[in-house]
Amino acid sequence: MTTLELDSPLADLSGDAYRTAARDWLARNAPQQFLADRAGYTAPTVPELKQWEAALYRGGLAGIAWPSAYGGHGRTLAEHLIGNQEIGRLALPESVNSIGKELAGPIILAIATEEQKRRYLPAILEMREIWCQGFSEPEAGSDLAGLRTRATPDGDGWRIDGQKIWTSGAMNAQRCLLLARTGPVSDRHRGLALFVVRMDSPGLRVRPLKQANGKEGFCEVFFDGVYVAPEDALGKPDEGWAAAIRVLSIERATNRMYRAWRFENELRHLLAAAKNDARLAVLLDESDYRQRIAATFVDIEVVKGYVEPAVAALVAGDSIGARGSLMKLHWSEAHQRFAALAIELLSQASPDASPAVRNAQRRFRDIYLQSRAETIYAGTTEIQLGIIADRILELPRGR
Amino acid sequence: MTDLDPAEFFESARRAAASCAGRTAVEQAARLAEDGLLGVLAPEAAGGLALSLRFAAPVIAAASGALLSLPLVETLLLARIAPMSLAAALVAGETVGTIAWNGAVDARETADGVTLDGVAARAPAARDAGWVLTRLHDGRAALVATNASGVTADDADGFDLAVPEGMLRLTDVTVPPAYVLPADVWDGVRVDAEVLRAAAILSSAELCLAAAVEHATNRRQFGKALIANQAMRHLLARQKLNLESLRGVLNRALAADAAPIAARIAFAAACQYGPAIVEGAIQVHGGMGFTWDLDLHRHLRHVRMLEAHGDARGVRAGIAAHLIDSNAA
Repeated sequence: MTTLELDSPLADLSGDAYRTAARDWLARNAPQQFLADRAGYTAPTVPELKQWEAALYRGGLAGIAWPSAYGGHGRTLAEHLIGNQEIGRLALPESVNSIGKELAGPIILAIATEEQKRRYLPAILEMREIWCQGFSEPEAGSDLAGLRTRATPDGDGWRIDGQKIWTSGAMNAQRCLLLARTGPVSDRHRGLALFVVRMDSPGLRVRPLKQANGKEGFCEVFFDGVYVAPEDALGKPDEGWAAAIRVLSIERATNRMYRAWRFENELRHLLAAAKNDARLAVLLDESDYRQRIAATFVDIEVVKGYVEPAVAALVAGDSIGARGSLMKLHWSEAHQRFAALAIELLSQASPDASPAVRNAQRRFRDIYLQSRAETIYAGTTEIQLGIIADRILELPRGR
Repeated sequence: MTDLDPAEFFESARRAAASCAGRTAVEQAARLAEDGLLGVLAPEAAGGLALSLRFAAPVIAAASGALLSLPLVETLLLARIAPMSLAAALVAGETVGTIAWNGAVDARETADGVTLDGVAARAPAARDAGWVLTRLHDGRAALVATNASGVTADDADGFDLAVPEGMLRLTDVTVPPAYVLPADVWDGVRVDAEVLRAAAILSSAELCLAAAVEHATNRRQFGKALIANQAMRHLLARQKLNLESLRGVLNRALAADAAPIAARIAFAAACQYGPAIVEGAIQVHGGMGFTWDLDLHRHLRHVRMLEAHGDARGVRAGIAAHLIDSNAA
């Protein structure tokens, strides 16, 4: 890391000047060894990621649109988009605290008490506390209404018993945003409440699961009589979850807003690597590959065609309804198509492929495997299709 | 002009198009001209409004939805670039213009202008058009009166029932210098046509998807509505995804600050998603979908011909070349 700027250099800028300053800041401060399309890339460790993301925040490029009262930079969503476009143009690592920044944070902003907002939010941006999401359970994956983890009144607070699964990053987290049941399972969507649980609580145990890509990303989390203090309950029982659902439908359209520009960075990396390899350069001239490369770029531009109007609508104070489901369904499947093309192309590289090409092979194999998860998490493809049918097309049930 | 609303142009064109049933292409032009719809792009000196594609796209969408036989994409674009007297005639609906999208003809300079010989194809409604723009082998383009000596127009085939395309044969046809346009004008017309075709394809696809939703809602099989089956709901949801994906990139291409490649992206997306939506609508309709009576096959024929006019494969090749060439090795 080169310099760490303690004051936001972007504070007084807007529009094109803001974009230029963001780009300049990233050029000066983004750790070159963490850029996946550069020679000499090394995967960052969790402490290195925390240090980098804290610098990103101090530089003004995290918490961009969060209120300044809670540590945010208090800017508009339009500027959040600009900042993210610039972040996306670089092959930077994914956040180790995206659950904190893009799921827990927005829900806290929507439903938490003033005291809770001041307690939780700055720690997320400053990377003092990493969050995980305790929603899915072994018997409640897509169908959260079936979840069984119980929250039982215990004095002024609550006692949690149950199990969560697919909890990304739990082994690194300090806090968990937990969805638990305060009533009987037969209540389905009613009787669900949100809690904030300290991950070092007695009775809480984390067991990492090895993922299909060979990494330890998601975990099982076991709760055995874990006590949650009253000040760590989020929203009122019954109300918290409904509010969270509303936040999540917006988040689906706005999270990782840099995504389309990151995909473009990936495509440009693929092309640059292929041009530098004798055999791949020949393949790049083939009509079939050119057609598929164009289709990939169209796919990426379609993602932009979803993101930009959604931001404009939110800035104008309009509802975006279930539009996030269209975006999520498209980008997740488009990314899979692209990744499959990339590994197919790169697999035909020269036997004496250069380090740059081998670096690209490593990056796109990772992306290919990771992209299998993208149509599963945050609402599977099938869930998104159901939402589009029910809420966008408004199809009658039909009997 | 800044307070004009593209949606009003759509409504106006939709009403005009609805009253065009049973009329010839020339009569349709006269009807749309009554409402000032043919001069959306044309210069004010020709009686036009000199507006951007953002206002032409809804006019095209309405006409495409109504399956007008008028070659509207071509007429609107020619009214913008033609010499003023011809532009005024196009705006007034006194004549219809078309463009031969495939091929180029030989040109030789003569005392009276430029003399043309050759064959140019893929000219929508060539038999109804009074004027045709054809590309020359040197990259320029020429506007030719279809009733000039040495010009013959044939229906190439009957695939697109809405706007049958034709083939132009030019034999020693001389056009005055003012009717020969530089290469950059041709290139500009081609790019703008990509955006307008995307708008036409989106319109056809949207109507066909709506018809599919209605059919699936009302048609009962196995004791329940088709729409009660998850397979049907998911299929229609995917078509909606395709439709909105196309709408998003079309809107990007119509934005005032659109990137130069945005037109090609919109057209490529239209060709990727549009025919699939129309084909899907036919499938949802079952046997009814394969009947002559429903308009679904007319939309399918129309979008496939729009795809051919714009050379979808060539456009995608151009997008890839742009990316590969602009990407630092």
